[in-house]
Amino acid sequence: MKKLPTIYLPLIFGILIAVMPACSKKALQSGGDPQTFQEPTTKSGITRGGGNREGTRGGVSPNFPDTAFSSGENSNSLRGIDRDPSEERLNGDVGSDGGFGGNGGSGNNRDRLMAKSDPGAAARQLAEIRSEQLASAAAGLRDVFFAYDSFSITEEGRHALSNNAEWIKSNPNTQLKIEGHCDERGTSAYNLVLGEKRAKAVRNYLVELGVAPNHLSVVSYGKERPFCTEHTESCYSQNRRGHLVVRIGE
Amino acid sequence: MTFRTILIAGVCASLGLVWIIESGAADVFLEATRSEFQKIPLGVVGIDNVGGPESPEGRAKLGSRIEDVLKADVRRSLVFSLVDLAPLRIKASHPGAEPDPSFKHATENGVSVIVWGRAGLKTDTKPPDVNMDGYVYDAGSDEVVGGKRYAGSTSVVRLMAHRFADELVFRYTGEPGIARTKIAYVSQQGTARELFVMDYDGFEPRQLTADGFLNLMPHWSPDRRFLVFTAYRNRNIQEIDMIELATGKRWTLVSQGGLNITPALSPDGHFLAYSSSHEGNAELYRLDTRTKAVHRLTTNAGGDLSPSWAPSGRELVFASDRSGGPQLFLMSADGSNVRRLTFDGDYNAAPSWSPRGNWIAYVCRTPKKEYKLCLITPDGQKRRQLTAGPGVDDSPSWSPDGRHLVFSSTADGKSQIYMINADGKDLERITFTGTHNSAPTWSPAS
Repeated sequence: MKKLPTIYLPLIFGILIAVMPACSKKALQSGGDPQTFQEPTTKSGITRGGGNREGTRGGVSPNFPDTAFSSGENSNSLRGIDRDPSEERLNGDVGSDGGFGGNGGSGNNRDRLMAKSDPGAAARQLAEIRSEQLASAAAGLRDVFFAYDSFSITEEGRHALSNNAEWIKSNPNTQLKIEGHCDERGTSAYNLVLGEKRAKAVRNYLVELGVAPNHLSVVSYGKERPFCTEHTESCYSQNRRGHLVVRIGE
Repeated sequence: MTFRTILIAGVCASLGLVWIIESGAADVFLEATRSEFQKIPLGVVGIDNVGGPESPEGRAKLGSRIEDVLKADVRRSLVFSLVDLAPLRIKASHPGAEPDPSFKHATENGVSVIVWGRAGLKTDTKPPDVNMDGYVYDAGSDEVVGGKRYAGSTSVVRLMAHRFADELVFRYTGEPGIARTKIAYVSQQGTARELFVMDYDGFEPRQLTADGFLNLMPHWSPDRRFLVFTAYRNRNIQEIDMIELATGKRWTLVSQGGLNITPALSPDGHFLAYSSSHEGNAELYRLDTRTKAVHRLTTNAGGDLSPSWAPSGRELVFASDRSGGPQLFLMSADGSNVRRLTFDGDYNAAPSWSPRGNWIAYVCRTPKKEYKLCLITPDGQKRRQLTAGPGVDDSPSWSPDGRHLVFSSTADGKSQIYMINADGKDLERITFTGTHNSAPTWSPAS
């Protein structure tokens, strides 16, 4: 770029700022991170449990209540030991003793489930998981296994993925989900990070093999959806996996 | 100044406690070390059964049930040492206005506080009503200093004991006690993992979610009304949700694509710190809960996660694998002044900053490749391993009094929830059912 009058600099800067978000979005998408900007559809409560959820757009929800200490009188505070104590009626409400809601006192509804969840949600999840498993088994998709603490694709993993890639390319209408899993060692939180690294490693290798990135999404389940639960190396090695699933529905 | 204030001040001074003196810049609070802490000897004479005609079962069990819960609370308070009064043949005094002559014998044997009470079940009300009176004798002033009278349904019997225990702690320390606190956690239900809340002693578990998939890593709001946690929409999209305990009402706070994990509300509730990978790899962000503005806190090629707030709200500790395996780092609440805290071992994660400020608990991998709990001071000067032996320990979370930790461990095979004192004593398992209980998080005190 040749010399520009400095007066144009703010203008150019402004244009850059305006264009930048679009650039980064595009770059990330072509860089193989399609799941990143896949905005969840706003079928609040229909697609899953929470029957009365709010703020279901992608990004950050604009409407949720204040989570700070209320400055008002705290009704559950202790009243001290008195020489002439008056009777305190306890009801176990959130407002009184961090208990559970409902009309305090009777205690009759302390056993109810708190979430106003769709009672069919769990059954529907199970049915969908089953049909995904069936479709994935029918496709003959193979898992990719990882070494302890590692997210590098092994020689064996590359072999499995080239088979998987052939199937995906010959079934161009399917959407695949790549699940990253870990063994039980380490923290839940860090294993979610590790699981994502594994899922992305699988995704990136499939893209290298020519699979269109917009057919692939990644999700990390960390150590929360183990294939087996024994505390043995043979079980651990089966849980350290990238698992390919044919997505059904939404 | 009331008599009680003078008494509290006097007790604290005589115990040589330096209660929560905040130093100017650093988030360090001073407290006398545990070994110097002289516990107050307290004896429970008993909770007698009284009342009109009622079911024999209810009458026989009521008093002893309350007594058992009260004694366990007193023991866990770490403010009192529970003295066995049985060999001293101490008699309860009813209706409780005057000390029983036998109390003299207890005080001669070093007992400072004597507690007794009575409980009855009234079946002429529907549903049946429980009444409990509790009394407190203080040897220092040689008088019955007062009592409490509680009423409620049969479902709040344990709460009566918890509340009475907290009143005792409050009277002798000025702090609210932990007997009425709750622990939120994750429990396996079939193939799903759902959120639950139980009392701090593991009783009265209640299920909060029933989505049929995964809900993970709950964390309390400072007012105890809400939990923030990681949820999976359609099993595919991770997001950070909030649930109101009283109503079950639910909100999606963050749904940015990629990982959305380890949410933690600041002590004043004004900020939600969390980890998200929507811009590539896992980075820390801070959401202003009032303006809903998002501020990115970290920028580097490693994964940053598990933020935990200092009690002042001015600093955060978090885990990052920017230098290889995960290590703990500190930073200011605006993301500036990042510095590494842990250097021992190649895996340190899941930090939790004590509400007293003086320790940070975390999961450390030992030279034998075991995942155990460690403690480190925020200045990095002192470090110690808290748990040992087999099993993967995870998710340490402090009690609001800073004297206990709750955590999950596979020490007994399946993942269950345990409690331990900050000095490593009194390891206690608090969940016994189910195939998997994890991610415990201790509520603030009320």
